[in-house]
Amino acid sequence: MHDRLIQKLEILSDAAKYDASCASGSAGKRQAGKTEKTGIGSLTGGSGICHSFTPDGRCVSLLKILMTNYCIYDCHYCINRVSSNVQRARFTVKETVDLTLNFYKRNYIEGLFLSSGIVGSPDITMESMVRIAKSLRLDHGFKGYIHLKTIPNASPELQAEAGLYADRLSINVEMPTQSSLNKYAPEKDLGDIHGSMNALKDKIAEHKVDKTYSGKRPPRFAPGGQSTQMIIGADGSNDKTILGTSVKLYNQQKLRRVYYSAFSPIPDASEVLPLKPAPLIREHRLYQADWLLRFYGFGLDEILQDDMLDMDYDPKLAWALRNRHVFPIDLNKADKQLLLRVPGLGARTVQKIVSIRRNTKLNWIDLTKMRLPLKKLKPFISVGDYFPDIHLLDSNNFELQFKQPKQFELFGA
Amino acid sequence: MKTITITSVPGFDEWREGARKCIAERIPPEHIIWQSAHTVQDDLFGDSEEKCDSKNSQSKLSIPKPTLMLLKYALCHNSEHRFALCYRVLWRVVFENKHLIQMKTDDDIIQLFAMAKAVKRDAYKMSAFLRFREINLEGQEHFVAWYEPEHFSLEIKLNFFQTRFKNMRWSILTPYRAAHWDTQTLVLEDNPDSSVVPDDDRIERYWLTYYANIFNPARIKTNAMLNQMPKKYWKNMPETSLIDDMIKQSDARARKMISDGNNH
Repeated sequence: MHDRLIQKLEILSDAAKYDASCASGSAGKRQAGKTEKTGIGSLTGGSGICHSFTPDGRCVSLLKILMTNYCIYDCHYCINRVSSNVQRARFTVKETVDLTLNFYKRNYIEGLFLSSGIVGSPDITMESMVRIAKSLRLDHGFKGYIHLKTIPNASPELQAEAGLYADRLSINVEMPTQSSLNKYAPEKDLGDIHGSMNALKDKIAEHKVDKTYSGKRPPRFAPGGQSTQMIIGADGSNDKTILGTSVKLYNQQKLRRVYYSAFSPIPDASEVLPLKPAPLIREHRLYQADWLLRFYGFGLDEILQDDMLDMDYDPKLAWALRNRHVFPIDLNKADKQLLLRVPGLGARTVQKIVSIRRNTKLNWIDLTKMRLPLKKLKPFISVGDYFPDIHLLDSNNFELQFKQPKQFELFGA
Repeated sequence: MKTITITSVPGFDEWREGARKCIAERIPPEHIIWQSAHTVQDDLFGDSEEKCDSKNSQSKLSIPKPTLMLLKYALCHNSEHRFALCYRVLWRVVFENKHLIQMKTDDDIIQLFAMAKAVKRDAYKMSAFLRFREINLEGQEHFVAWYEPEHFSLEIKLNFFQTRFKNMRWSILTPYRAAHWDTQTLVLEDNPDSSVVPDDDRIERYWLTYYANIFNPARIKTNAMLNQMPKKYWKNMPETSLIDDMIKQSDARARKMISDGNNH
């Protein structure tokens, strides 16, 4: 019997690995009350703990599994589509709950990330998922992290119930446009997905109120907000379309996070899919651009000159190379927004610089003490006792020094 | 010259008492030698030796909380210099600049932050990579972990483990100290016996199964993994025994994909 469980776990964790998210943070703090004699777990605030790392470089923070990989849908990019030949399995509610608690007690995980294929109907599936979360919270006093991937067409009542037990809810948009969805995920409708997201957005906002008129705190509702994922490189969408979709999701549906997952060929692939994996560098550049949009005050039109991001340079450096007239930037005088645009200065470093220069004037030696990436910074900044060679920025082939060595091999031999 | 010997590890309380007293007596940093008992040679125990005496340290120092937190972390560092550095910083905070820690380019402050950061990372890794194994102790389930922190991180993370596993019975053993929790009280034990740590657990094979299957062989990034989980942590993490095979097999799978592609 136990070996059967191992087998299920093999199938249902293997099927879950195409979801990029393993985040377990940003849901605030939570712990068992002083007098609570049962229950387990805590949320530490901040970004959650990575309990292990796999050789793909990804963090293992949650028990990320599918409840089942049976599915009535036929999305081409998905290994679990109804027409695929994969082995199928299904966890019971109790198996999922026990596995989560047993892993948690051994300090393997921060909690559960549960998603599922559609069995029977969206409501039947969603109902089982909610039962798992509910059992963890109510029967076992579980205070760890729960992320539920909600089923787009499930009833609003079930979605609302899910939010009472989950820290984060997500629905994958998968493709940035309806036409791509039509081609690759014929049962999915972008309007429905946005509708579900909007309904959840309103619920989340409703429950964010500190206190109701009765003086009671409203129950928590998905305090970690919503996230989603787009598959990159399976359809023909360019980076401008993808990032444009992200911006809308951040602004209109108030999503906390959009994940990008470079398409990688799946076993028993559908014929409409490309044979080759999308380059991981494209996924990486999209994340960098996403970061600039959210935390560095960049606009979409500033990041993208064409339809595609530059693969040779990170998007911030690419912007700097296109806007050399802005540089060098004086680290002692420039305002924060401008400091954030200097290649090599991260948001934290900028904060540090702003706080240091209140007390003292920055000189070159201070930059070395702060262990900044001086080689990268050098042409773009000035400090008290340093000003770059003014011709440097305008020199021919200036940008070549920033290219990754790999590209140079093209010119070798 | 005054010599102060700290007899406990990490020695935060002893250092604090000693430091308060020295500040009250206005003894400048360069006139104090701080040392740890376990590194002191026998013949150095002489008349000049002064154990710090907490009764004399009545003076109340008002140290900004962020500074105190920073000192606390730095004092959990394994460096012998931590006591002297922290006293020097404290001295300067009291007599020179209350907001000294904002001087991020000051050499003492750079060193202090570096030490605190090392401790913070070490403590974080402890909360992440420590693995409990279940035993049956007097008919109750009891969870035992062996962990070797680089610094004195047990002290930093005790609160975390007590909060998260409040209603669980557990013991965390490190080379220098163990903490035992029975859902009510915490008992500390110096130099614990590591032979009580079990070498297996009934759930571990499920964890290994999960670890092997959640990984995507199509996107090997070994360096990214090693940055976050250097090999020094591996020996107490059961899943790391799989890594070599996972990488080897993924190469084979990738090669097979290419050769299959060429046959088309």
